[in-house]
Amino acid sequence: MRVAYFLFFFSFISAQWSSKSAYLLEKNRKEVGIFTPFKMGMKNGSELSINKFLLMPSVSLKQEMPIFNSWKMARKFRIEYPTPGLKWIQSPLGGEMGDPNMFSLISTQFTIPQMLSFYTEMIGTKGNVKSGQLSLSAGLGVALNGKDLSNDATIDLPIIYPRLSTYYNDYVIISGAEYLRQLYERIYYLIDYDMYIMPGSEGRYAFEQQSLLVWQKSSRLNLSFGYKLVVGEYPFGGQAHLLPTINLKFGW
Amino acid sequence: MKIKYCIYSFFISLFLSGCDPLVTTFDDVEDAVMYQSNMLIEYPAKKSINVMTWNIRFGVARLDFALDACGDRVIISKSEIISGLEGIAKKINDTNVDIVLMQEVDVQSKRSSYVDQVQWLLNNTNMNYGAYASKWKSQIILADGIGRVDAGNLILSKWKLEDPKRYQLPLRGDQDGLTQLFYLRRNVVTAKVDMPGTPFYAVNAHLTAFATDDTKQKHISGFKNILDDIVDSGSNFVAGGDLNALPPNATKTDYCLDDQCELGTYHSGKEEEHREGSYFTPEINWLNDLYGVYEPAITLEQYGMNEPEHFTHSPGHKPLLDRKLDYLWTNTSWSNGKTHQDATTLSDHMPVTANWEVE
Repeated sequence: MRVAYFLFFFSFISAQWSSKSAYLLEKNRKEVGIFTPFKMGMKNGSELSINKFLLMPSVSLKQEMPIFNSWKMARKFRIEYPTPGLKWIQSPLGGEMGDPNMFSLISTQFTIPQMLSFYTEMIGTKGNVKSGQLSLSAGLGVALNGKDLSNDATIDLPIIYPRLSTYYNDYVIISGAEYLRQLYERIYYLIDYDMYIMPGSEGRYAFEQQSLLVWQKSSRLNLSFGYKLVVGEYPFGGQAHLLPTINLKFGW
Repeated sequence: MKIKYCIYSFFISLFLSGCDPLVTTFDDVEDAVMYQSNMLIEYPAKKSINVMTWNIRFGVARLDFALDACGDRVIISKSEIISGLEGIAKKINDTNVDIVLMQEVDVQSKRSSYVDQVQWLLNNTNMNYGAYASKWKSQIILADGIGRVDAGNLILSKWKLEDPKRYQLPLRGDQDGLTQLFYLRRNVVTAKVDMPGTPFYAVNAHLTAFATDDTKQKHISGFKNILDDIVDSGSNFVAGGDLNALPPNATKTDYCLDDQCELGTYHSGKEEEHREGSYFTPEINWLNDLYGVYEPAITLEQYGMNEPEHFTHSPGHKPLLDRKLDYLWTNTSWSNGKTHQDATTLSDHMPVTANWEVE
């Protein structure tokens, strides 16, 4: 009976809304969020994710794996092509040097080479949302052709710096955890963290901790809000940021 | 319970440390930031104190920086910055100055590869103490890839500095609110130099360069008011800085065509007739009050007799000096006022030195 209950809750979560857990969207279910990529459950026990920001195309595939002890397991692969996006943020409004070039985050003095990055990640999930579901993940990202990108062309801001670090540092080690628990019928809370280790880089680490209150109105609408605390090292030194977070997801 | 308390305390402390503002604004008067050299040297009191003012252009020497010259570079490499600072430190040491009033010094700016130039200069010159006041401090400047910036004015001294103050000058009145928020916050930094037996004040200013309204006049007035207050309190001062203003007897007051990056940009009947920061004609008398009350290191007579000898500036991409923007002042007297035009490769401004005779 406990197992059935357990499976019910997991199937509920996996069927309804995606998460960082090892559970996948049910096949043919699709979802998209304002700040999260488009995701789709596939027939072959996998989940496809595509970044909506077409100038920074990225595709990821999450695949189920056999259960390990009592841990539900999955692996995730992601490929990202940042070159058009990085070129765009050198001159978002099309201004030229001295105009001034408003909203530019990388100086046009730098050449953005053709680059690719590959990420691979293992995810394990245990427990259920009623009493608490824990997911752990660890992975590695590597970049191709990042050597041709100047180390002075970094964007030294929270969230962005660690996610682009692989192009400046050639590789990044990532780990994460997520704890999801049901509070009421449609209200959940979620606590997660992500850790980026960037050995050899001027900013060597970034720690991101997020707490969210999640309202799953239905299988079609999901609203979450909370905060993200980012503590990281940048080329100028260490700094902490506390940022509000909000997201609206639609599923069908 | 104890573990919970520790966890909550940890996160609360992180929250507090994470509340740095995106753009740092300042009170009208607040403490300047104190620095000291890694190796202190003891100096006796002197009867004649060698004072220098120098806008060091954040150590980029004459490189074609995009924002003040016609160049195409915004981020300068660390090796280039260190090379520039080495030239500046050598000049300071060779000149054997006792007080340096320095403008455009970066402490944590992406454009200068995050070199803390205040600490670097203290560690690589004969100076012992520094008082720094930011004029531009933001986690991000959303233009030209400038990124993070912390730049400002600095007083360097062989003797201990006390009571360092940052005086906010009015913001530019000719900018919209958003631009003004992310723009420079010009200031005057002062400190009491604790020279044994004869303490005195050092005052350093960097006034607006590009305002097209009366902001510069307000800055000059604010600078003079600070000097007046020091004199009223019975103290003496050495003051100076990059005032971005010409002497009242300058023969040339319009540099729009000299400073333009592309031919035909100005004086061509287009919308923007004059280049910001290059047209001094309407403001040529704004330094009269300072000249009338206080003693300059280079008098108007000296300047008028041979203008080119006292030019302190030319835009970054043009090494031929063509105007005087940098000044030293006191309420007592100077001797040996000199413009060091041999430093033309080290910055777009030349250091001005003079000996302040202690009374």
